[in-house]
Amino acid sequence: MTQGLFDAFYLPPDVERQAETSVQRFGPPHDAIELRLATVTPASIDTWVEAIRSARAERLARRPAAEIHRVLERVAQRFLDPQSPVRRNAIAWLARSGRFSTPMIERALTDTFGPLSAGGVSRWVASELGSAAALDRPTPDRKGIPRQAFGPEWMLQIYAGNVPGLPVWPFYSALAMKSALFAKASSQEPVLPPLLARTIAEEDQDLGACIAVAWWKGGTIELDRAAVRRAPAVLAFGGENSTTSIARETRPEAKVVIHGSKVSVAYVSRASLTRAGLGSLAARSAFDVALYDQQGCLSPHAFYVERGGDVGPAAFASALGGALESLRDGLPRREPEASQAARVQLYRAQAHFEEATGSRGTQVLASSEGTDWTLVYEDGARFEPTPSYRTVRVHAVDGVEEVEAALAPAARFIEAIGLEAKGRERTALAAALAAMGVPRIAPLGALQSPSLVGTHGGVHRLLPFLRWTTVETGPRSAGHRRDRPKGKARRSR
Amino acid sequence: MTARAREMEADLVRFISGAGWEEARARGAEAAFSDLAIRTFRIQCDAIPEYGAYARHVGRWPGRSGDWREIPPVPSSAFKDHGLSAAPAPPAVTFETSGTTITRPGRVQLQSTRLYETSLLKSFARHILPDGARLKIIIFGPTRAESPRSSLWFMADRVAARFCDAPSWIVEHGEPRWERADAELTRSHDERVPVLLLGTTLLLHAYVERCDRKGHRFALPPGSRAMDTGGAKGARVELRRDDMAASVQRVLGIPPTHFVNEYGMAEMGSQFYEDTLLAGHERRPARSGFVIPPWVRTRVLDPETMLDLPEGRPGLLVHYDLANLDVPLAIQTEDVGAVAGNRLTLEGRLPEAERRGCSLPFEQFLERERGPDVPR
Repeated sequence: MTQGLFDAFYLPPDVERQAETSVQRFGPPHDAIELRLATVTPASIDTWVEAIRSARAERLARRPAAEIHRVLERVAQRFLDPQSPVRRNAIAWLARSGRFSTPMIERALTDTFGPLSAGGVSRWVASELGSAAALDRPTPDRKGIPRQAFGPEWMLQIYAGNVPGLPVWPFYSALAMKSALFAKASSQEPVLPPLLARTIAEEDQDLGACIAVAWWKGGTIELDRAAVRRAPAVLAFGGENSTTSIARETRPEAKVVIHGSKVSVAYVSRASLTRAGLGSLAARSAFDVALYDQQGCLSPHAFYVERGGDVGPAAFASALGGALESLRDGLPRREPEASQAARVQLYRAQAHFEEATGSRGTQVLASSEGTDWTLVYEDGARFEPTPSYRTVRVHAVDGVEEVEAALAPAARFIEAIGLEAKGRERTALAAALAAMGVPRIAPLGALQSPSLVGTHGGVHRLLPFLRWTTVETGPRSAGHRRDRPKGKARRSR
Repeated sequence: MTARAREMEADLVRFISGAGWEEARARGAEAAFSDLAIRTFRIQCDAIPEYGAYARHVGRWPGRSGDWREIPPVPSSAFKDHGLSAAPAPPAVTFETSGTTITRPGRVQLQSTRLYETSLLKSFARHILPDGARLKIIIFGPTRAESPRSSLWFMADRVAARFCDAPSWIVEHGEPRWERADAELTRSHDERVPVLLLGTTLLLHAYVERCDRKGHRFALPPGSRAMDTGGAKGARVELRRDDMAASVQRVLGIPPTHFVNEYGMAEMGSQFYEDTLLAGHERRPARSGFVIPPWVRTRVLDPETMLDLPEGRPGLLVHYDLANLDVPLAIQTEDVGAVAGNRLTLEGRLPEAERRGCSLPFEQFLERERGPDVPR
């Protein structure tokens, strides 16, 4: 199904004809694929941006948003349909590019495209904008004031390669708000963005004319600069070094959202530690750890488990170990590179060292073979990210205050907390954890399935990039400040 | 130091001093190596309680006829929280480790630096000064007084005192004084006195880059040479060895044959050098990789199974260093490399910035907690 050469870029047909390309090998030496890449220079970036900008003005800006959203929903359906060549091709190339196992890739495509199909894009846009029509004309908002939303002329998006579906929602967000899109794929995952662009272009040439996908080596300053300096909107994922230099180069008026590096953790209340529920709880926890081999910002690195339940934290730890062991076959991991496995081994050896010498009751549980999973159990809360690839800590704690104290210095690095608790207890715990400023609190087992209509890193997916025009109808316009009687403003206390 | 440890130290110093570099001779000394390693291990199990506890915990408590491979390596990260040292307080020196990617910096405390110095001087003389030259040394780093916890600047200090003339230091109060380097190099050129440059790859790189920007060029006299260490760890850009060697030649006039890379860590008393300069001296082609000193053994393990890999296959590195007496001699690293004969090749790490994407790499987390790296 897949031959050796993959076109790891996408340009609108007119531009593509003039682009120079070169071929690079990608992946492990014994099983490398060849990537055909467009040669990127500051001048070519200018040309491509100009092409997608003018295509957007002619073919996208005045098109009804609902029509665009329907196209995007049909594309999502093609990535979901098990019989569709688009899905099969994507799975085959993603598997060959080597980061994740096939079951993991299938899961990623289903989870990512599922919410975007069957009316999903319009529901998403409506949830953030009030209605999709607000992208076409001034449309009364909830207070009855007509407002129109304008997406940026074009958007620069810079992806990370840690989770296979990561580029999809951002990709859709640009087109859904009628913006042209210039996307820089990650060197770790050069497959999905060009495939998505090509499928959209097949479905709708006009949309396809507004997309460019390129790749260049991260940190190539002249190229980063050429792209970032012109961009009216930037959405970037990545480590601190790359995102800091991006932030420095943006235009002052540009709308910029940067998602830096984060991890997640989990909290399990004593009331939810029951004998009957332990199996399911452990299975859901293991799933959150195992999915995407713990590479995502939503992957939990530590479980804080309350003492005093029907089953104790140690029993939870051993149940979690059992569940991770069964996922070795259930949701297989891709073997990590030697350097990653070496870190896991060092981490394990260190944990064994603590087991032998420490005072925190450390216990190490690990896969029967290889580095497939590692669990370090200890008394008391602390926070330190693990080397991933299914390496997790379980901490026995007395209560949420202990966890708050341990997480406080690192709170800004935490994207989500998986919370296992019910009823009033859940409400109280969620309030305590939310007070730390962690953007998302979700049930265990669903930690890695964020809502499309929710936020990422605590910010919405469309709103930060929109500019609004409000059509005011005069001093009597309902709900408007100027309705209030003149004179001293009343103080309310 | 107990009488037993003092005797051990003397035996180890004797072995290191007398060790032959030829591969065949080193192999011939296998039994002696194993014997010394096992004796050292036993002493360390008693003198370093945490290490003894760890050895028992992992079930490695060799009997009399043990093999050195049975000695359990201590994870390099264990220097962080644990007093992994036989030195009584206060120790003669304390080196700070740069920390592994999974832990904060740790401490290596030595009661005596005799073994350390024996090993470092012998290796340095062979790989950097095989012609016996006595050179003026320019250290791209701080003085030992300014950076007392760095094993690298301790080494520079010892080398300068023992083998070199008129040392000068380029880093002062944490700041590089590039003009000082300019002046020293100009003098070396004008007076036709060859020099030895010693420093971290990053500092040397920063200097040659600055010279490139300013258009400075120094045609240093023949015999001048440079030793760098540390690689591109912490660099914002990937440094290719070839490019670095080319810049050193272009800017300083030091040919690649006189530019030697060293690999070492604070947890080990011994270092590994490339043999470029030595090969030139011996009029033979240089061999790739670093030379493993005859008093060190490096095992390469499959990082999944932790079993020994066949020669030449890359894997996780575990070092057994007879220059380590006050701290465990067997160290498990997170470095990946391959060994063939007495050659060690390190596998470069991929730059992390892009690969981890939105997931927090713990190096970054730790870097924020501890501030910039102390070199070794």
